[in-house]
Amino acid sequence: MAGLTLAIPSKGRLKDNCNAWFAAAGLAMEQTVGARGYRASFAGFAEIEVMLLSAGEIASSLLAGDIHLGITGEDLLREEAPELTGRMHLIKPLGFGFADVVVAVSSYWVDVSTMADLDDVCAAYAQTHRRRLRVATKYAQLTRGFFAQARISDYRIVPSAGATEGAPAAGTAEVIVDITTTGATLRDNGLKILDDGVILKSQAQLAASLTADWSAEARTACEALLKKLDPANPLYSALSAHLP
Amino acid sequence: MPAFPYYNAPAIDALNSQAVALLKLFASRGYVREEPAVLQPAEIFLDRSGEEIRRRTFTLMDPSGRELCLRPDLTIPICRQAVLDNRSVPARIAYNGLVFRHQPGEPHRPTQFFQAGVELLGLENRAAGETEILSLAVESLRVCGLADFSLRIGDLALFGALVDALALPAQWRSRLKRHFWRAGYVESLLYWLGHGDGAAKLPGTRAEIEALLDARGDAPQAGRTREEIILRALDRAAEAANLRLDAKVADAIARLLDISGPAAESLANIRALLKTAGINLDPQLAAMEARLATLKALGVDPARVQFTAHFGRNMEYYTGFVFELWARDKEGPVQVAGGGRYDTMMEMLGAKSAVSAIGCAIRTERVLAAKSAGGA
Repeated sequence: MAGLTLAIPSKGRLKDNCNAWFAAAGLAMEQTVGARGYRASFAGFAEIEVMLLSAGEIASSLLAGDIHLGITGEDLLREEAPELTGRMHLIKPLGFGFADVVVAVSSYWVDVSTMADLDDVCAAYAQTHRRRLRVATKYAQLTRGFFAQARISDYRIVPSAGATEGAPAAGTAEVIVDITTTGATLRDNGLKILDDGVILKSQAQLAASLTADWSAEARTACEALLKKLDPANPLYSALSAHLP
Repeated sequence: MPAFPYYNAPAIDALNSQAVALLKLFASRGYVREEPAVLQPAEIFLDRSGEEIRRRTFTLMDPSGRELCLRPDLTIPICRQAVLDNRSVPARIAYNGLVFRHQPGEPHRPTQFFQAGVELLGLENRAAGETEILSLAVESLRVCGLADFSLRIGDLALFGALVDALALPAQWRSRLKRHFWRAGYVESLLYWLGHGDGAAKLPGTRAEIEALLDARGDAPQAGRTREEIILRALDRAAEAANLRLDAKVADAIARLLDISGPAAESLANIRALLKTAGINLDPQLAAMEARLATLKALGVDPARVQFTAHFGRNMEYYTGFVFELWARDKEGPVQVAGGGRYDTMMEMLGAKSAVSAIGCAIRTERVLAAKSAGGA
């Protein structure tokens, strides 16, 4: 059993960016297809086991304490654990995987440009239509927190598994909370982002689980890895202050 | 109480005999007991109450994919049934049963607890309804043998009437009313009233707005009618033009929201404040005084009745008079009963016209805990 487990995204641009980042730090990753799924290791770091998981699984595994370290989107981490204290520590934002979690409405709604407008419309909609305005999203937790902050309560969340941007046109929701990088997909679907509707400016994060089994071997391996990844910054001492 | 309570024989006996006493009291006032199903279709709670109730509601899927929930309260299913049955009014309904609440972030709170309560639907004489329900709440605790309790009262209609008396655009009035109980937020709205809300300026004529909409013909209407959008855009433009509140009046609202203390004294302070601001809310103040008189007639010590101007309950459906009864258990103060007016609920649930409604609920397990802590 290796001392430290690190999970990285198993596919897509996040995976490519991770590999590039490791390569730049002089870490050569050797991928193997093991019996229990995708595994890899770094040359010269035998005590570190690298697991290739989906970005969502990495967030939930960090929360569950099944892995020590993981790289995934901050949006997924914050959705999985709205309160990070005591559960996860964000070690370093990685400068890739940029995306914003935003509140978007139809651009046909010319009278709505702020969360305060949306609040008015939610209240009026509940009165006129006898039901709550629906917000389609896969970010239920982030949405609840942000809407509560904006003091909006007259709405309901409709869970969305994919293609959230299509919900207003399909008539399954009136408003969406979704992730966007350039806003092009939203525009193509006739949607606009509210002026103060950015819930989170997300990017890929190297994160540590604070509930994992941090053995002495794991700590030693983690310190060596972080030093290799970013020699200029004392990442490990910042992390160790939070470890149990 | 643990998150998943377990009831032993003495606990069951204590709860049962208390429930019998309460239901007997309710019956003696003409309240007929009803019991909705524990498992409810989720949509009546999720569509008609806000996200706060949804957040606390346990939902589940039945094998056919239909969304169900464990009732988070009894008021909504009882009112729903009254609407479906087209019940003649006034209707007096009593209940005693379990409700289920998810307690996010508070794992020590029970996920299920008993509530005994009453709903008074469609009584036109609102003052009489309030006297009836407030009396029942107080007498309920006494019937249970709990004599040592205090009250917190408030009235959402008082603030509503105050806002209506202000020279403000309709949207701002409704915004202020909707948020009145959220400490800090109304103050920031008042700030925006003085300094503008930073919203993009919209064109002010119907023709201009129609042109804007026509240019966006490809975008989804997303559940709102064209007319709805036009009307709100027109309101928005009009309000941007005359959005200003006299500093003296804004100050009076802020100070009024701050008022909290023994009820009689608080009412006197409100009167003085309204006089300075030149606002007449005599009917609302008279209603509050009638409630205090009710409590006095019941022998409740006036020093134990607290009025809080920005007091509103977390449940989102209250519309007017609200009250809570508090006692102490071995860990400190606990709310043992609460209630209020919810005049928009029946319409939200499908009634053809507005039906006045007021009710209260007793947290029976907390009453027992408070009694045992007080040695009663």
